[in-house]
Amino acid sequence: MARTRLPVNGRTLAQLAAATTKTSAASVVRRVPFPYRPPTVPAGVEPKRPEPKTGGNYDTEWARSYPARLARVLLVEGLVRPAVELLAAPTIKGVDRLLDTDGPLIFAANHHSHVDTPLLLSTLPEPWRHRIIIGAAADYFFGSRLTAPVSALVIGAIPIERSRVSRKSSDDAAALIDEGWSFLIFPEGGRSPDGWGQPFRGGAAYLSLRCNVPVVPIHVEGTSRIMRKGSKVPKPAPTTITFGTPMWPTDDEDSRKFAARIEAAVGQLADETATDWWTARRRAHRNETPSLQGPGSVGAWRRTWSLGDRSPKRRRAKRAWPDLG
Amino acid sequence: MPRPGFVLEVDRSTPPILFHHGEQFRLEKLPPGRSRVIYPAEPLEPLEDIEGAIRDALLNPLGDSQPLPSLLKPGMKLTIAFDDISLPLPPMKRPDVRQRVIEQVLDIAAAAGVDDVHIIAALALHRRMTESELRHALGDRIYDAFAPHGALYNHDAEDPDNLTFIGATDRGEEVEINKRAAESDLLIYVNINLVAMDGGWKSTATGLSSYRSLRHHHNVQTMQHSRSFMDQHKSELHSSNWRMGKVLRDSGVKVFQIETTLNNDVFGQDGPMSVLQKREWEWGTRDRLAFLAMKKGLDKLSPKARRQIFHSWKAPHNVTSVQAGEVEAVHERTTSHVYEQHLVPIEGQADILTMGLPYICPYNVNSIMNPILVMCLGLGYFFNLYRGQPLVREGGVVIMSHPTPWEFHPVHHPSYIDFFEQVLADTTDPKVIEDRYEKQFAEDEWYRHLYRTSYAYHGVHPFYMWYWGAHGMQHVGRTIIVGGDTRAVRRMGFMPASTLQDALEMATDVVGRDATITHVHNPPILMADVT
Amino acid sequence: MPETARPTARFVGVPNRAGRRVGTGAPAGPDGCERAGGDGRVKALVFERKPAKYAAAMAAGKLVPGGGAKVGPLRLRGDHDVPDLPGPGWHYVKPRLAGICGSDLATIDGRSSRYFEPIVSFPFVPGHEVVADLVDPGDPKAEPDGSYRVVLEPVLGCVTRGIEPVCRFCERGDLGNCVNIAFGGIEPGLQTGYCCETGGGWSTLMIAHESQLHRVPADMSDESAVMIEPAACAVHAADATLSEPVVVLGAGTLGLLTIAALAHFHPGLEIMAVVKHPEQRRLAKLLGAHFVVEPSELRRGVRRWMGSMAFGDGSIDNVTDGVSRVYDCVGSSDSVQTAMSVLAPGGELRLIGMAGNVELDLTPLWHKEINLRGAYAYGYEDRFERRTFDMAFELVQAKDLGRLVSATYPLSRYEEAIGHAATAGARGAVKVAFDLRDEKERNR
Repeated sequence: MARTRLPVNGRTLAQLAAATTKTSAASVVRRVPFPYRPPTVPAGVEPKRPEPKTGGNYDTEWARSYPARLARVLLVEGLVRPAVELLAAPTIKGVDRLLDTDGPLIFAANHHSHVDTPLLLSTLPEPWRHRIIIGAAADYFFGSRLTAPVSALVIGAIPIERSRVSRKSSDDAAALIDEGWSFLIFPEGGRSPDGWGQPFRGGAAYLSLRCNVPVVPIHVEGTSRIMRKGSKVPKPAPTTITFGTPMWPTDDEDSRKFAARIEAAVGQLADETATDWWTARRRAHRNETPSLQGPGSVGAWRRTWSLGDRSPKRRRAKRAWPDLG
Repeated sequence: MPRPGFVLEVDRSTPPILFHHGEQFRLEKLPPGRSRVIYPAEPLEPLEDIEGAIRDALLNPLGDSQPLPSLLKPGMKLTIAFDDISLPLPPMKRPDVRQRVIEQVLDIAAAAGVDDVHIIAALALHRRMTESELRHALGDRIYDAFAPHGALYNHDAEDPDNLTFIGATDRGEEVEINKRAAESDLLIYVNINLVAMDGGWKSTATGLSSYRSLRHHHNVQTMQHSRSFMDQHKSELHSSNWRMGKVLRDSGVKVFQIETTLNNDVFGQDGPMSVLQKREWEWGTRDRLAFLAMKKGLDKLSPKARRQIFHSWKAPHNVTSVQAGEVEAVHERTTSHVYEQHLVPIEGQADILTMGLPYICPYNVNSIMNPILVMCLGLGYFFNLYRGQPLVREGGVVIMSHPTPWEFHPVHHPSYIDFFEQVLADTTDPKVIEDRYEKQFAEDEWYRHLYRTSYAYHGVHPFYMWYWGAHGMQHVGRTIIVGGDTRAVRRMGFMPASTLQDALEMATDVVGRDATITHVHNPPILMADVT
Repeated sequence: MPETARPTARFVGVPNRAGRRVGTGAPAGPDGCERAGGDGRVKALVFERKPAKYAAAMAAGKLVPGGGAKVGPLRLRGDHDVPDLPGPGWHYVKPRLAGICGSDLATIDGRSSRYFEPIVSFPFVPGHEVVADLVDPGDPKAEPDGSYRVVLEPVLGCVTRGIEPVCRFCERGDLGNCVNIAFGGIEPGLQTGYCCETGGGWSTLMIAHESQLHRVPADMSDESAVMIEPAACAVHAADATLSEPVVVLGAGTLGLLTIAALAHFHPGLEIMAVVKHPEQRRLAKLLGAHFVVEPSELRRGVRRWMGSMAFGDGSIDNVTDGVSRVYDCVGSSDSVQTAMSVLAPGGELRLIGMAGNVELDLTPLWHKEINLRGAYAYGYEDRFERRTFDMAFELVQAKDLGRLVSATYPLSRYEEAIGHAATAGARGAVKVAFDLRDEKERNR
């Protein structure tokens, strides 16, 4: 029988194929020459690392384009809001305090739960609700290529570095505020680990000072009952969101002092929610507002124990009016 | 820069003039050559920083009053009284100025360590305010903080245990006011001075008083000698209240008065209703379309639906001034602010005064404008919005436009129904009515019960409405209501007319063929300064 | 009060007709009533037993008040039989005026209750408010012109029926309560005008028993005289024993007459009248009402009048302490219900209007312990120790009630007449009557 002649390179391949039958696939790859594989680095040389596209560097510009904003409005109004209504049944208080204000605002809220964000997104008053950016932890929300675009689109988040002061984060945020975007930030820098608040960081105060925009303190109550840090399945529970009066930094305040004042304001709102406005005001003037951070320097059990006092039952006045007979 | 009010001489190029007509409108051609239209001033610029202005007023009071913080001490009894649902008209958009003022007052009180605070709706013999009305006026924070503890409530002028007799004036007028207010270390009264009648000593002496006290100035004699009751210096109503104020002051009742004024921005600068406060020749295409759509749309609706739409309107009028301190010093400053917005000078009286009555008056907020209130709004309020002399000459004719339905709100106005069905069927003469019926109605247990426990105006209130028109009824020769329900209009002793032209014809046998006409283009509110 | 004061003596001398009356021998009519003989020369409106027509009248009456006259069993006949005199004491009378009564209208429009069925006999000539001429009185007391006018007291009690001894009610003079109205010498019929044998006022000739006749004084007009019978009903109903205020519901003929009777016989009694129409308002005032209100204003009016409390938040469902007596001259479900809502506990609701079938919530009756009491016809008024009819004569003259006759019609225009009577209030009328004085059949 007659054998056709193979071309030269055909022969090479045939030889290669014959070789593979004898060795592993890995050995073939190893034998692939340089242009076909990454170079090796010579000793003593530090190559320049490419900038990661996730985390603090994730570019969210596209999420503020009109199609994305429209999609977000639809998502928030059509999906998030009904879900929040079912899950959190929010009572919203103090919106009238914002009525004298226009232009961008920085909303600073306490933080207990992942529910806080959708809750606030769907309850912030107009016109701010649909022109809002959320400062979200760069490592948590923008950590992967999957979560980053979701965070950007769904909650309109921009990444904020919480582990270190990042110039880029604050520059980005400031630029957006200057453009007229409002900013929602949780100055505690993360969800409460134990139900008590954490010290407020300076971000909101810094942005306020830098962009000359007032800060609106917000107290969110009840979301820890829905889903606290660590829990996986949300349980429906009623919530109360109390908006405070917009605050301007005074002339002699730096961002640290201002942040402390914002924290105090949120504390007073918490007091207002737990008792009533008049009681809260009187305690505030006497410097007796209960701290958001709970009792310090006591045993852990006592912190947890006193947490019980703070979860206000639904206050329902039995009789709104004196009995006139 | 808002333009001041002015008087238009109607000529052949003048477009038809807008008449309010209850929950509807009419466009009426006024006879050229002998008609004038008074237009109100455009809304004054509101304060830039209202909160700041309030704070400033509280810290720098007028007259011989100390700043508010130094009047407040721990352990004191503080009472805050505020104007009721009858002010302002229409109700203002949130936040209401009462809320702004009282929140600041309370914050200062909290800082001073005051614990014992009561907040009282000073409604005299008006109906009690509902929870939602109180929430609207004071905001949820105040309501939630005070109402559950019984520290925010409506004044009850029929609760003998909670009234204090203070004394009598040199003319024997008894002064009796709310006990809590009388016994407080400080009474803070928060006013909205919508018209020049409001405020001053009338706030406390009327708003927190009882029938025993009110009858001394809410009567025919006083009202016929108040010319007008909008002009404090020529108003017997005010003289009486001021005398009572003196008794209050001398007896040691300490009042810190806060008065606020609003601008004329009733229907907004833009939006569907804005056309109603524009001058007819300046109606652009959009305004005309909005007006037509509104008018045609309203025609299609039931009266009830129409009423609901109008009464849900919250006016964007905003604060133009805040005064605080000693009553009389405050009131003088406030009145000048009111005049600044309302006063329009006009020369000479007319033979015929025409007016288009809107859907609302002080006593039908969230309610029905019944025929008695129509009378009160026309011959009481609109007629009396003058300084100097009335807009219409003595013996002249008043033509008002309102559907005047024979309809009453049974919960709010029960005694009105009886007044209309029984008293007016007998006589329309205010003096006779006063002598023959007032006492019966004032002391009727059922009205008392409804006033105290439901949301009814006091039994005697319809009488006051009728007295409010006493000066007007005495002054004019004939009153005609255009488009009014025939039976209801007749019951009040007026004449119904189906069109303005008919009404003008009917007026000729009182004032002749070439009678001069003045039309007040109100609302927004204006006050004529007639020389 | 001594028994002897009762005027039963009046009936002494009326022949005792214990057996069946003397018949005429004429064959019995199709509806069982023995036809009177004589030559058919009476012009009369006759109401016959015709179920199909009655059903039509019911339907028509619901659509148009008085509509039953056109399609119903009522028809005008020029050849109605002259009734026979059933016995001694009976006379022929020629009606002059005959009123149209509310009960007549109910019959014509098919609204009357089945209750009446055994106490009427067909075919009958309606008309029980009658002023008539006594034919051939042969009485020297006749007027100089020979006329002798009478008013009919239409109840057909024991005496007229020849029943002896008379029932205990007739004995007392309370004719209206007679228990023998379907028995005795004549056919069933509670009154003249519902009995096939007596004829009725809506005709040119009828018969009446002498015990039924009241002579009309010469100076009294026919119009006044025709008001005597309804006035007697009102007088009987208005036997107030109270000095406390009362309410009269309705201002048709009966309502107005009740007001007049209350005002006349109980001076000082305060009366609130409830009227629907402007002309009624004027008349109510004129006849003695102190307050006049419209039906929708009644509850409020009573409450304010009595200074009472009331249930209902501003609008009134029930007055807690209302009036002690209400005279209901309407007799509808609405009027009775309203009356109960304005009565004080223990008060009395006097039903004067013929009520028929009504649907009621009787809770207030139970809770307020209201006495519900009817008022029918007339007889003897214990309180005044007088015959009701005598008092009615006095009332009609004192209040000049003849002016309440607003319109009269000849028999031939009976449809119009009944239509007018059925809508009298709205058309500013009170009493509508047939004027028979010029009927040629009568004057032949």
